[in-house]
Amino acid sequence: MEMKQIYVLAALLLSFVARISSLSITVNDVECVYEYVFYEGDAISGNFVVVDHDIFWGSDHPGIDFTVSSPGGNVVHNIKGTSGDKFELKAPRSGMYKFCFHNPFSTPETVSFYIHVGHIPNEHDVAKDEHLDPINVKIAELREALESVTAEQKYLRARDNRHRHTNESTRKRVIGYTVGEYILLAAVSSLQVLYIRRLFSKSVSYNRV
Amino acid sequence: MITMKLPPFFAILLCTSPFWGNAPVTEAIWLNLPPSGTKCVSEELHNNVVVLADYVVVSDDHSSAPTISVKVSSPYGNNLHHKENATHGQFAFTTQEAGNYLACFWADAHNPSKADVSVNLDWKTGIAAKDWETVARKEKIEGVELELKKLEGAVEAIHENLLYLKSRESEMRIVSEKTNSRVAWFSIMSLGVCISVSVLQLWHLKRFFQKKKLI
Repeated sequence: MEMKQIYVLAALLLSFVARISSLSITVNDVECVYEYVFYEGDAISGNFVVVDHDIFWGSDHPGIDFTVSSPGGNVVHNIKGTSGDKFELKAPRSGMYKFCFHNPFSTPETVSFYIHVGHIPNEHDVAKDEHLDPINVKIAELREALESVTAEQKYLRARDNRHRHTNESTRKRVIGYTVGEYILLAAVSSLQVLYIRRLFSKSVSYNRV
Repeated sequence: MITMKLPPFFAILLCTSPFWGNAPVTEAIWLNLPPSGTKCVSEELHNNVVVLADYVVVSDDHSSAPTISVKVSSPYGNNLHHKENATHGQFAFTTQEAGNYLACFWADAHNPSKADVSVNLDWKTGIAAKDWETVARKEKIEGVELELKKLEGAVEAIHENLLYLKSRESEMRIVSEKTNSRVAWFSIMSLGVCISVSVLQLWHLKRFFQKKKLI
């Protein structure tokens, strides 16, 4: 292959990889992230996990809402009241897609999300561009498969993070509440003793309480 | 919401980012900065991870591009990158400590327009931040072979991630089991404390009444 072909091939192949990491964002009310989809029919996949920092009463929290809007403005995907989920959709058209997290409660929540837009060249692209080898289609498919494994791992990592927060909170609560309970018990019983002593020491005729 | 026509948008994307070169198709997220207020993104990273990020302010008004300020901080509060009045920039670092790395953006106060500023952030960590051009040049591979090498790197990263998840799971299991045994111990101890406190109460009151010659 001559150099020009190599560079074009490299440029085209570079374009198939989406490079995004699993970022976290704090959602107070609505936070939106935008991502540009270059080709129609691209597979948009991703996941998000809500990392609660101080779960007080636990499973009463309704979770957050997640919406994906297409460039035309209509909602393509909608998940309500969840603490973390995966999503996968096919882009109906190219353009700027909006991924929004909505927090119905006033306590800010931190959401860790990962969005991936994958493009696999199909036979049309191969036929149109003579520099594009059918092997590149296979490589792109392989890369998308590996990306899905990576995405799953990022999801597991985010969930593990959330689990760690819960565990730490449980550990601190167990120690805190137990020590508090002992102190409270001792205080209440000593108060009882003091009260009974007072009852008996103040009255003159102490055989009549 | 970004409302702009496509051709000038593309032109601005191509000419304002020095990072893309011949490939106009790299992906990143866009953030919408309100005129006042900060938007922060964070990521929890462990030690020795390469982070490479690139940010560009995108606007449809060529004459007066709004400027933003960026601040990147490490979990212990060290300032890794700080830039004011910028329309684009790049930062790279290797993590020295494990924890939450925070990148904050805010629109500059003296911006002419009061509209939302859109920032394009390309944040890459670990294997995605690897410089494949140097590898290609050093080992003199190209084309399909380079792509397969990238896939091999991705698989290695997956393996590393899997081992990390395993070690975290075992750490968590240890903490869970410790908490479980602690709950059992503390409940029994609570019963013991209750019994001992009431015995003490009874003994003290008995002594008190004996002293007061009531019993």
